Amino acid sequence: MANETSGRRDNRVPFRASTKTPNIMMLRRTRFLLIVCGILAFAVLGIKLFNVMIVHHEEYEKMAIDQQVRETEITASRGAIYDTNGKILAMNASVDTIFISPAEIANNKEDPQLIARELSEILDVDYNKILAMTKNTDRWYEVVKRKVEPDVSEKVRAFKKDNNLTGVKIEPDTKRYYPYGNLAAHVIGFVGQDNKGLYGLEQRYDSYLTGSAGRIIRATDNRGTDMLFVNYEDYYDETKGNDMNLTIDATIQYYLEKHLQQAVEDYDVQNGAAAIAMDPNSGAILGMVSLGNFDLNNYQKVSDKDQEAIDAETDPDKKAEMLTAAQTKQWRNKALSDTYEPGSTFKIITLAMALEEGVVNENSSFYCGGSTNVLGRTDPLKCWKTTGHGSQNLTQAIQHSCNVALVQIGQLVGARTFYKYAEAFGFLNLTNNVDSNLTAKTGIDMSGESGSIWWSQNTFYDPENLSQLAAASFGQTFTITPLQLITAVSACVNGGYLMKPYVVKSVVNSDGEAVVSNSPTVVRQVVSEQTSATVRQILEQVVGDPVDGTGKNAYVAGYRIGGKTGTSEKVAQDAAGGAKEYIVSFIGFAPADDPQIVILVLLDTPSNSTGIYISGGQMAAPTVGKMMADILPYLGVEPSYSETEKTHMDKTVPNVTGLSVEQAKAALAELGLQARVYGDGDKITAQLPGSGAVVANGSTILLYAGKEPSGDKETMPYLTNLSYETARDRMAALGLYIKTNSSITDTASQKISGQAVAAGTELDHGTVVEVTLVTTDSGMLGRY
Amino acid sequence: MNISDLRLPARRSGAAAGPQRGSFDLPFFVLTLLLLTIGVIMVLSSSFARAYAQGKSPTYYFVRQAAFAVAGVVVMIFLSKVRMATYRRLSLLVLGVSIFLLAVVWIPHIGTRVNGARRWLSLGFTTFQPSEIAKIAVVLFFSSMICTYKEQMQTFRYGVVPFMVVTVIIVGLLMLEPHLSASIIIMALAIVMMFVGGIKLSYLLVGMGSAGALLLFASKFVPYVHKRIVSWRDPFADTSAAGYQIVQSLYSIGSGGFLGLGLGQSRQKYLYLPEEHNDYIFSIVCEELGYVGAIAILILFALLICRGYWIAAHSPDRYSFLVGVGITTLLSIQVFLNIAVVTNLIPCTGISLPFFSYGGTALLMQLGEMGIILSISRDIPTKKAR
Repeated sequence: MANETSGRRDNRVPFRASTKTPNIMMLRRTRFLLIVCGILAFAVLGIKLFNVMIVHHEEYEKMAIDQQVRETEITASRGAIYDTNGKILAMNASVDTIFISPAEIANNKEDPQLIARELSEILDVDYNKILAMTKNTDRWYEVVKRKVEPDVSEKVRAFKKDNNLTGVKIEPDTKRYYPYGNLAAHVIGFVGQDNKGLYGLEQRYDSYLTGSAGRIIRATDNRGTDMLFVNYEDYYDETKGNDMNLTIDATIQYYLEKHLQQAVEDYDVQNGAAAIAMDPNSGAILGMVSLGNFDLNNYQKVSDKDQEAIDAETDPDKKAEMLTAAQTKQWRNKALSDTYEPGSTFKIITLAMALEEGVVNENSSFYCGGSTNVLGRTDPLKCWKTTGHGSQNLTQAIQHSCNVALVQIGQLVGARTFYKYAEAFGFLNLTNNVDSNLTAKTGIDMSGESGSIWWSQNTFYDPENLSQLAAASFGQTFTITPLQLITAVSACVNGGYLMKPYVVKSVVNSDGEAVVSNSPTVVRQVVSEQTSATVRQILEQVVGDPVDGTGKNAYVAGYRIGGKTGTSEKVAQDAAGGAKEYIVSFIGFAPADDPQIVILVLLDTPSNSTGIYISGGQMAAPTVGKMMADILPYLGVEPSYSETEKTHMDKTVPNVTGLSVEQAKAALAELGLQARVYGDGDKITAQLPGSGAVVANGSTILLYAGKEPSGDKETMPYLTNLSYETARDRMAALGLYIKTNSSITDTASQKISGQAVAAGTELDHGTVVEVTLVTTDSGMLGRY
Repeated sequence: MNISDLRLPARRSGAAAGPQRGSFDLPFFVLTLLLLTIGVIMVLSSSFARAYAQGKSPTYYFVRQAAFAVAGVVVMIFLSKVRMATYRRLSLLVLGVSIFLLAVVWIPHIGTRVNGARRWLSLGFTTFQPSEIAKIAVVLFFSSMICTYKEQMQTFRYGVVPFMVVTVIIVGLLMLEPHLSASIIIMALAIVMMFVGGIKLSYLLVGMGSAGALLLFASKFVPYVHKRIVSWRDPFADTSAAGYQIVQSLYSIGSGGFLGLGLGQSRQKYLYLPEEHNDYIFSIVCEELGYVGAIAILILFALLICRGYWIAAHSPDRYSFLVGVGITTLLSIQVFLNIAVVTNLIPCTGISLPFFSYGGTALLMQLGEMGIILSISRDIPTKKAR
């Protein structure tokens, strides 16, 4: 210590005693402290700060900005979908998302039970579910319900306001809305909760329809509200989705669905049905139906029948499985996703190739003894009419849908030529691999198209075995899609041009510019104009010939319609040893001389129990006929009726109320209607049915002279298999009426095969029920 | 030892008691005011978002802090006029009062419990931490003891034991609250005082060694200390809970970059960074003023501290010298620990930044301590006086 003391600089405080002043050790230690606490410590901090602020600046800044910045997405409104005439098929409706902010509920001491109770009440969401959400107090966004209709969210808004709740929030959203419900459901498709296309055109054209979302980027505090005094905002405008115009005509689509649905009911069709209407000159799809269909506004919902089955099941796993299966089935578009053996409708194709090749002409004659031997087959190949069609010319062979004749025609064409045409018509693509099965698709602008399946070239070309060629000649042993058939048949009747089918006419952006524009595309000319004309003539005879035409049930009075029936056995079912099941179909076109529309109807597995003979001629043909009867006038095709047709036609009831009884009777009689008068007044005070109603020729109109209609109800009778006249009279006795969209050719022989109102329904007097007529003469009953 | 020994110097301490004292050290005064001014402005900048979110006026914290700053400057000037002998006379009293107050925190209604710790005393209009008084009490009393024991400081009996006893009492009371950061500061302060007071370095090394061992033990086996060590090593392992505060602080500091976002432009203060106008105010300083601003402030602190040691070293009086070193070291420890914590250099512990962190009574204490250093500076003989 003494040493240290002596080391002090005496000049500083010379007058002080040594123990009163800091000694040298203290000063030395202080100097050490100064270096450590005054310099080194700060140097260390400076280095650490350099590391954080300069070296890691970017990474920390990025992480900081990530949490400080909130992006709000502005959903772009999805493009609308229009039919060919501008009718809206898919549009957007404003809805709201209701969510709660549990953190704010907790922060602002709002009553979670009140919120859960009221929201549960208004939104029909489980109370406990909402209450559980309110417990997640570190969350700011818990969705209670999406896609809430405006009137409902208005109630939530009122509740929020009345109770001054900050934790209940409403956010705008849009919902896809389909004004026509299930119309063209499989074509249009649907979107999910997030408005992303899931199915159909909504899915395939999603990128066009979606547009691009806009964004608002802003700096917010930790609670999500904007920072005070900090201007950090960035906007990206949203781009509205493009609108889409389809070739689908909602009116035609409606008629297809209406009559197809009726056919499914009338014939108790088990496995769905499909119909396609095409403009043969352009390949544009005018309508496309697959049944059973579903409501686009509620696409998850399955048919009542399926739902019942699901409800009956108790195992939850099986329940879910059944639901998925039912949904998958109802969403499947049979018109292009299912393949089938077309059967006799394919004879059109065989006919066209034979004519084009010149191996047959209208004077060719064919003999059918009921069966024919085919090289490679052990047993003779039977015609559907096992007693045989005898001698027939080409037109008759097609009219009769004679299998034996078609086998002969096919052999005249030859296997290689047959496949060459099959390829030209778009049924298959020939490959270098002669051992592999062949396939093709039309390439329509829709998703889910299946490919055909044909025998390999080696099998088909086998000179020792002509059975494949023979069967293919009348449409068996290969499978194609309905779409392929209608596309090929369109080529046969439109002058020979195979058109590429399409359903999207254009996609138009918000400035009105076409982003996508589809015009008719000729794939190739398959047959000549001359061949096509001959095919049209022959097919018109199939429908128009009241004696020999196997397609006469598709006839529409006043119009020239051509077409061909088809009935094919479902091979798989047959092989399984079950009852025979059939796919019945009809393809028709009109007007026969200048086709504007081709319609294909396909009914998969009509029930054996309806009493109606299962065949394309008895079931599909009248269905197409009724569709044509509605669609041709809509398309503006002028009818020209024969005198007989005019007489047999259904009549429009005139207004006779106010006339004298005599005058009224006379007016009705002039139209071929009868009258039954109630009351003994001089003047007609009421009539049933009212004026403008269409009823069968010869119907008895109820006239009231001073007496009021009774208002009684009558029970709808079962009319199937009655003749039109008998049914008319039976109905008249009840004060009920019938009319038909089918063509009335022979009131005595035509029988009723379907009725729009089910038997047993209670009906008011004067109700008109639409029925379907078929000609059922015994020669017509066959699987052709 | 005899209590009367401790009171000994009374009014007899030579020049310090003389009637004419010099003016205070202007550089030290200016540096203090400079830091204080920047600090108060930063309270405004860092606190308005929080104040607004709490439904208060955005200037709520600023106005209060500014008022205390003005009061604090008055106190500082007043205390600079108080002679050092007076402080020495009062040192035992101050120690007694601080120990008393550390006990008082346990009295309900006066002692306030915050986050499970009793660190605050309520005076009705404001609250303060008795630990603040304990710090200055340790400085004043230890200095006094060192002056009393003189050469005996080299012995274990006088140089270590009495200091240990006082330290254990105070730290014991602090740990009961519990108040880890104040305990650390008091212990560090005690060690520094004994070191400067002249104890044998071997005692010091043994003491520091055992303190280090204790710390190591605590970091492994005391759960809440261990947790802090874990989140210090990797704060990003749990950014939502344990690591939240330090991660937010790093975001803030890192965002600053070289030049900063500009005064008032911090984004982290918008409720992301907790304690943004208290313990973590320096993070906002870094974010807004950048590396340049942060280093400038570090330099101001370093200058202030060096000047503090300079004043102490030039004091003609041993007691004044010791008090000066103690207060300066206290300031340095607090600045270092605070900035080391917000930059994650050391594990998280709650230490405020002198002159910057919001808190009226703490600010008054700090300025008062600066006042004592100014008082010391008045006794430095000017060249003219020589």
